[in-house]
Amino acid sequence: MSDRGRYLFAVATGLDPSDLEGQVGIDGEPLQIVQHDRLQAVVCDVDLEQFGAEGVRQNLERLDWVEKVARTHDSVVRAVAARATVAPLRLVTVCLDDDSVASRLEQWELPLRAALQRVEGCREWSVKAYSPTPAAGAAGDDRADESGTAYLLRKRDESSRRHSAGREAADTAEAVHLALAGPSRASRLLAPQDPQLTGRTEKMILNGAYLLPEEEEQGFLALVDDLRSRHPGVVIELAGPWAPYSFAVLEVADDR
Amino acid sequence: MSEISSAAATQGYAPARQGSTPPANLADILERVLDKGIIIAGDIQVNLLDIELLTIRIRLLVVSVDKAQEMGIDWWRRDSGLTSSRRELETENRELRERIEQLEQFENKAGSRQGRARKQS
Repeated sequence: MSDRGRYLFAVATGLDPSDLEGQVGIDGEPLQIVQHDRLQAVVCDVDLEQFGAEGVRQNLERLDWVEKVARTHDSVVRAVAARATVAPLRLVTVCLDDDSVASRLEQWELPLRAALQRVEGCREWSVKAYSPTPAAGAAGDDRADESGTAYLLRKRDESSRRHSAGREAADTAEAVHLALAGPSRASRLLAPQDPQLTGRTEKMILNGAYLLPEEEEQGFLALVDDLRSRHPGVVIELAGPWAPYSFAVLEVADDR
Repeated sequence: MSEISSAAATQGYAPARQGSTPPANLADILERVLDKGIIIAGDIQVNLLDIELLTIRIRLLVVSVDKAQEMGIDWWRRDSGLTSSRRELETENRELRERIEQLEQFENKAGSRQGRARKQS
């Protein structure tokens, strides 16, 4: 009936309404908290023309719309994470009214509480490693005087060099990941991103997410520096802290 | 080469729970808000896997499994979180192939109808 819906950003616990002052939701709408027992859903009003099933289907094809919503979503989640324990929800979770939001909290109460407990006091850090792309054969240009056989041999040689460089990079990535996973409360491997996306010429060999208790972050950052000096051949990039997106899941999972 | 990120990234650290860190790049945000986070079905049915253009555009930019294998960097596939999204991808690919087939059949039929129509006239 209503042409307004409720957009859900995250589920939290321990949040005070005043913690959200100064932060707005989608299209500048004020944020509100829908409570069930100790679980709190952070929501704001949205226009169902934009966020109804049909509107969303069309809008999700527009990268500028997706970017706007994604950045707002993340900024609200960040604001909540700064004050309370948070389990971010996936983009574009929309209910019709507060009763419906509350019934979701009730329905998922136990797994939500478990998810919040797993990430309590922790933040997510992203570590990516890049390996320089092995140079194509030393004298890589095609040579006019080269015989067909010589050409094929050279190509095969180049390809096997590339392959073994790839394996070496994978070993390094795995070593870096294991070193970082050790002190983390949990870790997760995400798919490496393509150079088109990263805008870098080097190949991404590790895209890891690590969940760390705040009091152990300094040690983790030092470990990253240490790994940088131990593996001078790869570029190790650290980003964060993120809200625990990669670790807020509704299941009993051991991600290690 | 490895110094590149230490300086740049260190500026980003919020010392404590400050809540404000510099805007992350869009790919990193999308990777998290689209692929991670708690999934609870709301009243509005949105299946992000249905969104062809966007998912194709974004997923194409993630190194394909075959390419990774060829480069010898497919070790991350052993992660359980990823293998499930790989299954999703496979399902998605299959569905897309089926749709293409349907479209091609449709086009063939339309084509032959047109052919007949021309003959008749």
